[in-house]
Amino acid sequence: MAGAQPYPKVRLRACHPFIESLLMRSALIALILMICSAPAAVAQTLQPILQTHAVEIAKPSRRSVGEALNTITRSGVPQATAFLEQWSKKNIWQRDDGVFLIGVADGDILTLTDVDTQATFSAPKSNYKRLKPNGGVRRLIGTALVQFQLIDPDLSRREAAVASIARRPEAAQLNPLLTSIDAETDPALKVRKIQLANFLSALFAKDPADRIAAINILSTDTSIESRAVLNQILSVKSGVADTQPKGNIAAIHNPMDAPDTYYAALVNEGLAPAKQTAADIKRALEFNIVNGRIAGFSLALMNDPDTRETAYAVLAANGLVPALITDDLRNTALNEHVFYDLYDEPNVDITAVAKTALGSVTSRVATAQVADLTLDALSLASIFFLAAIGLAITFGVMGVINMAHGEFIMMGAYTGYVVQLFVPNYTMSLIIALPLAFAVTFGAGVVMERLVIRRLYHRPLETLLATFGISIALQQIAKNIFGTQARPLTSPDWLADAWVFNDVIQISHIRIAIFVLALMFLGLIIYILKRTRLGLEVRAVTQNSGMASSMGIDPDRINMMTFGLGSGIAGIAGVAIGLYAKVTSEMGSDYIVQSFMTVVVGGVGNVWGTLAGATMIGFGQKGIEWLNPSNTLAAQTYMILFVILFIQFRPKGIVAQKGRAAGD
Amino acid sequence: MKLRSTLLSTLSASVLCITGSAALADCADPIKVGVLHSLSGSMAISETTLKDAMLMLIEQQNTKGGLLGCELEAVVVDPASDWPLFAEKARELLTVNEVDVIFGNWTSVSRKSVLPVIEELNGLLFYPVQYEGEESSKNVFYTGAAPNQQAIPATDYFLEELGVEKFALLGTDYVYPRTTNNILESYLQNKGIAADDIFVNYTPFGQSDWATIVADVVALGEDGKQVGVISTINGDANIGFYKELAAAGISADDIPVVAFSVGEEELSGLDTSNLVGHLAAWNYFQSAESDANTDFIAAWKAFAGEERVTNDPMEAHYIGFNMWVNAATEAGTTNVDAVRSAMYGQEFPNLTGGTAVMLPNHHLAKPVLIGEIQADGQFDIISQTTEVPGDAWTDFLPASAVLKSDWKELGCGMYNVENEICVQLTSNY
Repeated sequence: MAGAQPYPKVRLRACHPFIESLLMRSALIALILMICSAPAAVAQTLQPILQTHAVEIAKPSRRSVGEALNTITRSGVPQATAFLEQWSKKNIWQRDDGVFLIGVADGDILTLTDVDTQATFSAPKSNYKRLKPNGGVRRLIGTALVQFQLIDPDLSRREAAVASIARRPEAAQLNPLLTSIDAETDPALKVRKIQLANFLSALFAKDPADRIAAINILSTDTSIESRAVLNQILSVKSGVADTQPKGNIAAIHNPMDAPDTYYAALVNEGLAPAKQTAADIKRALEFNIVNGRIAGFSLALMNDPDTRETAYAVLAANGLVPALITDDLRNTALNEHVFYDLYDEPNVDITAVAKTALGSVTSRVATAQVADLTLDALSLASIFFLAAIGLAITFGVMGVINMAHGEFIMMGAYTGYVVQLFVPNYTMSLIIALPLAFAVTFGAGVVMERLVIRRLYHRPLETLLATFGISIALQQIAKNIFGTQARPLTSPDWLADAWVFNDVIQISHIRIAIFVLALMFLGLIIYILKRTRLGLEVRAVTQNSGMASSMGIDPDRINMMTFGLGSGIAGIAGVAIGLYAKVTSEMGSDYIVQSFMTVVVGGVGNVWGTLAGATMIGFGQKGIEWLNPSNTLAAQTYMILFVILFIQFRPKGIVAQKGRAAGD
Repeated sequence: MKLRSTLLSTLSASVLCITGSAALADCADPIKVGVLHSLSGSMAISETTLKDAMLMLIEQQNTKGGLLGCELEAVVVDPASDWPLFAEKARELLTVNEVDVIFGNWTSVSRKSVLPVIEELNGLLFYPVQYEGEESSKNVFYTGAAPNQQAIPATDYFLEELGVEKFALLGTDYVYPRTTNNILESYLQNKGIAADDIFVNYTPFGQSDWATIVADVVALGEDGKQVGVISTINGDANIGFYKELAAAGISADDIPVVAFSVGEEELSGLDTSNLVGHLAAWNYFQSAESDANTDFIAAWKAFAGEERVTNDPMEAHYIGFNMWVNAATEAGTTNVDAVRSAMYGQEFPNLTGGTAVMLPNHHLAKPVLIGEIQADGQFDIISQTTEVPGDAWTDFLPASAVLKSDWKELGCGMYNVENEICVQLTSNY
């Protein structure tokens, strides 16, 4: 149907003119091939072909299955595609007598389908053995299926074929892929096919001009795949020879840059004798002790390094030991040889273009990495901020050291888990869980304030101990109710994916949601504290509770409400954190230190300070991680050291309270 | 001095005879089995299951008539994931409760803390978890996997079957991941993987911010080589890691992950639909098909609850406990030295089919299984080897390649085969 249309009508933005020319050519070839091969498909049975390779099919391995796959795909038997697909899905069973059948298990009963006649029947599982091709074999099956699936009417099969090509690009796939682009109806898949065709052309096209054109397009593509293609084209082999070798030379090295390393390479190639180590010399000298003398020198003289050298030289001159490789000898040997890197690709033009393209891609990737790191840092900062903002109110504004703050986060997360048990729709359950988590932790906060904290105002040490005890008790209660195992808090589908700008810059939706949530709460808290009656009263009570109460404000009620608010926000933070990380009884203790650090660094008593603190810690941690990617723990340790130093120089934090509010 | 010691030994022997015969007659004191697993703190997540498993095994043995005509009694203590407390609780078990054997520990650091106590008091410990090797104590039987029974075969699977050319070794920052990754780095370099193609990262316990690390792993693929992840990430940090992998859309076909510390229990805290195809290497999976396993799972579900799952360390306790019972029956006593001699060569059927054998180096010969994660949180076993003998000292680090452990013939856990001397008897290294 698509073939009936004149080609240029389908013109895509990403479709480069040279691909079009390739398309035309390969479409013709494919047409000819189809005409020639059509009569070959005579009614045939698959089972005998399978039986000839029964061992490789029953116990397949990446290295041994290739021939079996070739025979099956070349057989031209129409049932082969279905068999390969089912095999890859682990739906092929082998009967005791070796016959292969397609089967679906239901309990102990198998529903089996004959691979040739498609006849179905049921049988008990005990006489059958399921074939389980491993990941490596499945990848090969996927590649073998590409030729059948590329033009399949089913979109998911075409997508599978394209994914297979992306995983194992082969030269033979270029033409079928190009032919299939024309008839592709799905726009997204078509763009992907054109992109893949471009990769394959860059690697495998026959005409160097086509390859260069394809490589030039890659110079703006920052995807991992495109970098992989360019790196493959630019792959080199290092070597050493007497004279400069013929071929496409990538680089000639100067051996004097690291003479010992290059000499070792020379020794490895068998082009020079190995350099003696001090131990070798010692052993050689010891071996040649004759009547208490070495080469005529008495042993007593051997303390002197010069004598040892002379003795060794005498031994060498007598042919008793190999000559000593001095630095001069080494340098002479190095200068007699050429150390080179040779491109695997013989065409000079192609490697030159690829090198330019890779250079351009690398600089783009570096820019993108900075952007990605910034995104990660922003996300980490927003997580810290969300975890700490409740504490910014209870500790920052009220001055209560609440060690059980982390457990309020944990309670919020478990609320989310419990809601999911009753509301199976994840989106709906999230909508219910957020206010419910607030209500639960608000209540818990109010209870704790009434029972414990109220009695301990202005006694920070006792508050610390009491709330620490409560935190341990809450953890144990959670363990008793929910068990010690982590509980799943699953995000709805629309939150489960990631926002992908390109292969370098991407961030998961849940992190974006946390960022938005953090911003919302920042606005909310600022609004409540600065613009509402409650906020005014809170500020009044925290600044001077006696004065406030003489003005008709009930400080007990205000303290209770404020503490409840701070705890309630911790509960909502718990739902968000549970969605992106984990829900365990101990999750709170992961955040309590970070939260206090955030509030203290930012400046006690100021929500903006908490924001500044979270931003500083988030960016600082990501920065250190970037400098030292192999040890995340070290990054956290350095960050804490930095915070301690910072507090030394700015004891009141980034945003310091001034005047009477500072309280001193 | 010598006289006194002979006197003492005859005395103790006669005491033993008396208690032995008394036990057979009416058994005033039951045989005590110490259970040393954390029931609180960060490791409770994994260890409480093992405590329950031990209680079930002891209950089963008692219904079968106990041991040597006596009832078995479990003495459960809680070391609270506090490593020094493990040593104290072990001492308490051996001196106050006077247990005959201890089953316990999970993390290597807790085992290291118990070792001096158990060697000083000549106790007997069965340690059920896969670990980093490089240790051999006369008083410990290691029923979990040594590196050559888990890490090395899994790495071979990556190299041979999946064709992985570039490795990311991700681990939690403590002794097991660090030692295992050292061994693997050296092994991979022997296999011709360039040092530049091995990326190593350590994260703290409970790590939840995985975005940057996952991005680093993805970026490894930029030279077109197949990337694979070997994960020694422990405990609940795994949840955040797998969630981030799923969010980044990394399927097992693109970058396979093989984990050494993720079993059925850990997966129960996760939505596994996005993890299908990722791998784990163990000596046991719940999905293993054998009659013994079906019975074991049924008994466990009846004992602990229908939703509970079984895992590899539970099988290790199952084998270890039954071997201990058989060895004590053969020796006719629960005396530590007699039981230890009877342990060598003990055979007991695995739950995966085949037979586990206790070797003179206090390790088991067990098969290595590789499973793919399925949507239901279980593993599909795609590769199973024959029994692999556990090796206390790895062959892939030069310092330990010359060492050998043989408590039966050589009577030494750290024997240098080059100099033919026993380096040391205690394991205080």
